[in-house]
Order: sequence, then C-alpha cells, then structure tokens
Amino acid sequence: MLKNLINKTYRWAQKNSLWVLHYNTGGCNGCDIEILDLLTPRYDIERLGMIAKASPRHADVLLCTGPVTLQAKEGLWQIYAQMPSPKWVVAVGSCSTTGAVFYGSDTVLGGVDHILPVDLYIPGCPVRPEGIIEGLLQLRERITHGESD
Amino acid sequence: MFRGLFYLLIFPGLAFQVVCGLIFEWIDRKLLARFQRRIGPPWYQPVADLIKLFSKEDLVPLGSYDLVEVLLPLISLSAVLTAGLYIPIARFTPFSFEGDLIVIQFLMSVPTLAYYLAGIASVGIYSILGGGRSLLQYFSYEVPLLITISGPAVMAGSWSVAEISRSQLTMGPFIIFQPLGFILAVVGLIGKLKRDPLDIPSASSEVVGGSLTEFSGAKLGFWYLVMNVQAVVGIFLLVNLYMGWSNLTFPFAAILVFLVEFLLMVLILSTTSAVFARLRIDQLAGLGWRILVPLALTQLGFVILMGV
Repeated sequence: MLKNLINKTYRWAQKNSLWVLHYNTGGCNGCDIEILDLLTPRYDIERLGMIAKASPRHADVLLCTGPVTLQAKEGLWQIYAQMPSPKWVVAVGSCSTTGAVFYGSDTVLGGVDHILPVDLYIPGCPVRPEGIIEGLLQLRERITHGESD
Repeated sequence: MFRGLFYLLIFPGLAFQVVCGLIFEWIDRKLLARFQRRIGPPWYQPVADLIKLFSKEDLVPLGSYDLVEVLLPLISLSAVLTAGLYIPIARFTPFSFEGDLIVIQFLMSVPTLAYYLAGIASVGIYSILGGGRSLLQYFSYEVPLLITISGPAVMAGSWSVAEISRSQLTMGPFIIFQPLGFILAVVGLIGKLKRDPLDIPSASSEVVGGSLTEFSGAKLGFWYLVMNVQAVVGIFLLVNLYMGWSNLTFPFAAILVFLVEFLLMVLILSTTSAVFARLRIDQLAGLGWRILVPLALTQLGFVILMGV
C-alpha cells in the first residue's frame, strides 16, 4: 500500500520533470536545430518540466539524432552508461530511427537501436518541433503507465 | 525542549526554509520565463524535480571520494539552515544574539567552500575547473559584500540582525541612506548564489555543470536544495538589513510587509539574471577589486561620517 503510493509519487515526479540530454551520433545537424527550437519561446518545453542539461549524470532522456557512425558508437554507449536510471532513449529523425539514406554504408551501423534500447521513435527529416513535443508527451504517458524503464 | 525542536524543524528552521526555497525557485523560473515571453514551469515543478532526483539511481564515478561527496551537500545544507535560524522572519527571532551577523556570514560561505571541495572530490575535469572558478569568484565578491554589509551594522550600532532590523523602525529603512550599499549587497548576493550574470562556476556552455557535473540522484537534489535555501536566506538577510519595516508592531502588518519585500527582492534577482549576460572570470575579478571594493569603502566611509 505505502510502497504503491511511493511508486506512484515517483512516477508522477519522473513524468513531470524529464531532463533532456541531446547527442548527435553523426547526423547533418537538421534535427539538432529542431531540438534547439524546443527551448525557444515559441515552443518552450520548460512548461512541460523539461530542461536541456549538459551533463549525462543529470539527464533522464537521451535524445539521439543522426545515424550511428562507427566513430560515435563508443561515445554513445558511454553516455548512456553514465546516465542514472530510470532513463529513456528517444530516437529523433529518420536517420536515428532506421539509418535512412545512410543505411548500408560501411561506416554507419544504422539506427540507434543497434546500440541502445530505444523507447520511442520519432521519424521525420527533419522532425518538426511539434513532432518532438508530441513524442515526448507520449513518453510521459508511457511513464505514467509504467511500461518502460 | 519541544519548543526548541519546533523552532529547529518547523518554523524558522527546516520545513519553513525548504518550502520557501521551493517557492522561490518557482517564482524565479516563472518570472524568467515571462521575461523571455515563455509560459514557464507549473507551480509544482520544483517539487517534482526534487522528488524525481531522490528517486534516481546514485552513481559514484570511479576514483571519486564517495563519503566526501555524500557529506558535502549535507554539511552545506545544515550550515545554510543554521544561518537561517538567526535571521528574523517578520518579527520572529528565537535565537537572535549580539554578533549573529558575522556568524551568518561565516555559515553562508560554507556552501561555496563545499562546492569547491565537491569539484575536487569528484575528479572530473569539468568539476575541477568549476571548483577553481567558484573559489576565484568567492575572492572577488566576498570582500565587497562583507564591507558593504557592515554598513547597516555601523549605522544601527549593533551586529545583531534583529537589532539592525528593529532600529530601522525609528531611523527609517537603510536603503534610503545607503542606496549604493544595497546595490553592492545585491551584486554580492548574486555572486554568492552563483546566479545568472555571475554563474561563472556553473556555466553550462563552458564547464558543463561546474562542480556538480558528476553528481546524480539524491546528492544532486540536495545540492539544488542548498542553492534554493541559500537564496532564500540571503534574501531574508538583505530584507532585514536594508528594507526595514518588517518589524512593525502589528504581527499581520509585519508579515505582509515582509512578504512584499521578499517578493521585491526575488523580482530584483530575476530581472538581473534576465537582463545581463554572463561575465568572464577576469571581468568579474576586475569588477570586484577595481570597482566594488572602492565603492563599498566609500559607502562605509559615508556611513561612519554620518554617524559622527
């Protein structure tokens, strides 16, 4: 009973304060600019409790953009390992979800799901900021229902 | 015995200060958002952040001194809470004594030193850089702040915050006599709190998270709490030293005036952090020693001359 209550409180808190870390695994910068748009007054994700953090140890959500290149593989894994759990990975953009036009290249592994467990895919080239917000809202829903960790 | 515990844990102590700190954080972030034409976070945002940080995994980087890392935020939180006990809230002063202004100054600098040690103990390159910067910043703002804050004490003829606050009822608020001193004290407070124009130690575009880069989970939550409570205690201190009239005889009027003055100080702090861009560390050191210290000495000289 008490444990249930504590669990529920934790979920509520986690849902309402998702701190975001953004990492480009080798993309063209298109999606990065759209992610930066989220912080501007027009989209303002702080009203949803999300802040962009610079240190992986402070972050809850890893927003990945771009296809995973061989060079970025190790860094991506290290950043993920430095984040304290519970943590979520979101693949932003077509390259990050599947590898898109870079699929099959000998220096590219493909989407982020080759390396990390991805919780949410947001396709688009580049994704519109509204799309990213919609995706993050769905992630919040999923945290409330406790489907993913 | 029970009364002492009540003072320590509930009213001027732990619960009150923490709640005030969380409210301060929300007002500050909301004001900043409105200045930037954003909507800003909802009212429960600081609470959600804190609970979330406590629910997270506590990672200890390899090679860091984990016991020190756990102790530092706790020590600084207790130092700041203790400082808050000596500051009158409206008219309420259970622990006031002659000379508590100096004790408050000492206790308020404990978090800065702990912040430096946290950077050293967690061995990350950004942490060490942030720690060094925080110490440099400390040497720049602390001297002018100390000189400035002795102005009201000299004017009131007492080193007790409660006595200084009380003497403004007859003499008028000291902000009228020492406007320059008030501005210098606000600058010093911003430096102490590492807030926006002077957030050199924690500048996220330069040193990631400063000393707190390697902190996660509950320890980080405690650090954020320390920052907020420190801000609240600093604001309470300046309200008592410069704004006066929070000592009116009617309790209701005193609480109302105190609240208004508190909100005014939060507005001043938020506006400065919205308007000004961050200084470089050499600019801050230059500002501190070439401009703030002479101005503070001038202000103190005027106060002494007025007394004669």
